[in-house]
Amino acid sequence: MHYVLHYGQIAPYLPYLIGGMAISLALSVLSFIGGMVLGLFFAVIRNEGHPILSRLVRIYVAFFTNTPQLVQIYVIYFGLPDFGILFSPFAAVLIGMTLNAAAYLTEILRAGLGTVHAQELDAAETLGMNRLQTLRHVTLPHLFRVAMPALTNQYILMTLGTSMASIFGVEELTGRAFNINSTTFRSIEIFTTVAVLYVVVTFIATILLALVGRWAFRARVPVL
Amino acid sequence: MAHLDIRGLVARYNNATVLDGIDLSIERGEIVSLIGPSGSGKSTLLRVISGLLPPREGTVSLAGETINYADRRSLRRSRDKLAIVFQQYNLFGNMNVLRNVMVAPVTIQKRDKKTVEAEARALLDKVGLGDKLTSYPDELSGGQQQRVAIARALCLKPDILLLDEVTSALDPERVGEVLDTVKMLAADNMTLLIVSHEMGFVREVSHRVAFMADGKIQEMGPPAQIFGAPQQPRTQAFVSRILGH
Ligand SMILES: Nc1ncnc2c1ncn2[C@@H]1O[C@H](COP(=O)(O)OP(=O)(O)OP(=O)(O)O)[C@@H](O)[C@H]1O
Ligand SMILES: [Mg+2]
Repeated sequence: MHYVLHYGQIAPYLPYLIGGMAISLALSVLSFIGGMVLGLFFAVIRNEGHPILSRLVRIYVAFFTNTPQLVQIYVIYFGLPDFGILFSPFAAVLIGMTLNAAAYLTEILRAGLGTVHAQELDAAETLGMNRLQTLRHVTLPHLFRVAMPALTNQYILMTLGTSMASIFGVEELTGRAFNINSTTFRSIEIFTTVAVLYVVVTFIATILLALVGRWAFRARVPVL
Repeated sequence: MAHLDIRGLVARYNNATVLDGIDLSIERGEIVSLIGPSGSGKSTLLRVISGLLPPREGTVSLAGETINYADRRSLRRSRDKLAIVFQQYNLFGNMNVLRNVMVAPVTIQKRDKKTVEAEARALLDKVGLGDKLTSYPDELSGGQQQRVAIARALCLKPDILLLDEVTSALDPERVGEVLDTVKMLAADNMTLLIVSHEMGFVREVSHRVAFMADGKIQEMGPPAQIFGAPQQPRTQAFVSRILGH
């Protein structure tokens, strides 16, 4: 082999790649937040909602955790236009990732909800808290505390999962890597650089989430 | 007028009748203890009174006002006057000691935060935890946690306190400190309904003792009667077994 590494050749593209990283981050952060809101809602329904609603949530979770995410986004991007629903690639990926995240997060949050001591809930009720106050002051803080490691894990997986957006033409980090590759053919340099960028992003996210967990919720997660 | 008046109370879990017609009347400032074998319905009675389990029949009245357990507002009013402390895990694990005590008066009773904080600090001082304000429940011993739980109940300024085996999850050497706190309340003329297995304590602190079995109050009287000269054979059997002679 006489391949000589030339990282210098892709150095000019670094700002372009970092721009792509911002799009990847936007996808992961937005879908994580959306997934958390939906997942929380579903988890509460699943645990204490009407049996029919609870069953619907179970079906939803089973569907989204047992089909490839790629296929789900395909349906949204290529399938729904047949019914007159059109999305931009970014929107389609964002919606797909959010719905998918909601399913996984429902399960994580539901497991966490199950660990709240019944006595704490009794105490909240006899102190006079209504359901919303109990959720806000007792259940949610406890939930984030115990679920923080699993949530961090899920977020990291989602960050890495954003790379599939390139398939739909979203020019996030991986998509931009393909673009540069097709003009420079410096595959090794490009994709090792991209790998390092993903590591940096997930590394920073892990630390930030651990700090948030520690400070806000007294979660016992090691920062490193 | 009785401070807490319970008439013909019936409660069921699913179809099992756990309370089978309880009549109990407690005067203001009176201390009544409930004793009885495991499963006799003592905790259930406290749960029903505090609104965690709706009664199937009968009434509970607080200072003459009958609690309507189906009505949120009636229940809220009763919870302003009546507080309960459980066996364990009373405290909110995500809040420090001071916040545990302050959260209900501030967020539910909407009282002024500064005033509540001053009261909470005073109460925590009183139960001997003035130096633990910023500790979290998992950093406290069981006895300390129970004393915080009592301070939290008191911060709501209840007239009646229900205590359900507040010492039974504690190491023997921690029991005393919690019982001392309860005695302090007794001296403050609080109306207390206590479930306890600490017979020495029950005998010392109670005005009257009720012996429960099979969801009924089988016998009720001053401690001297229940422990010294029980009238019912079941009470005799229970007392002699528990006092170990
Ligand atoms: N959540 C519940 N669901 C169904 N049955 C219950 C429940 N809680 C208690 N019971 C039943 O009700 C009966 C009375 O229970 P309770 O807890 O009131 O007894 P107790 O007198 O407090 O006993 P202990 O001294 O062991 O605390 C028991 O037979 C128990 O099995
Ligand atoms: Mg009990």
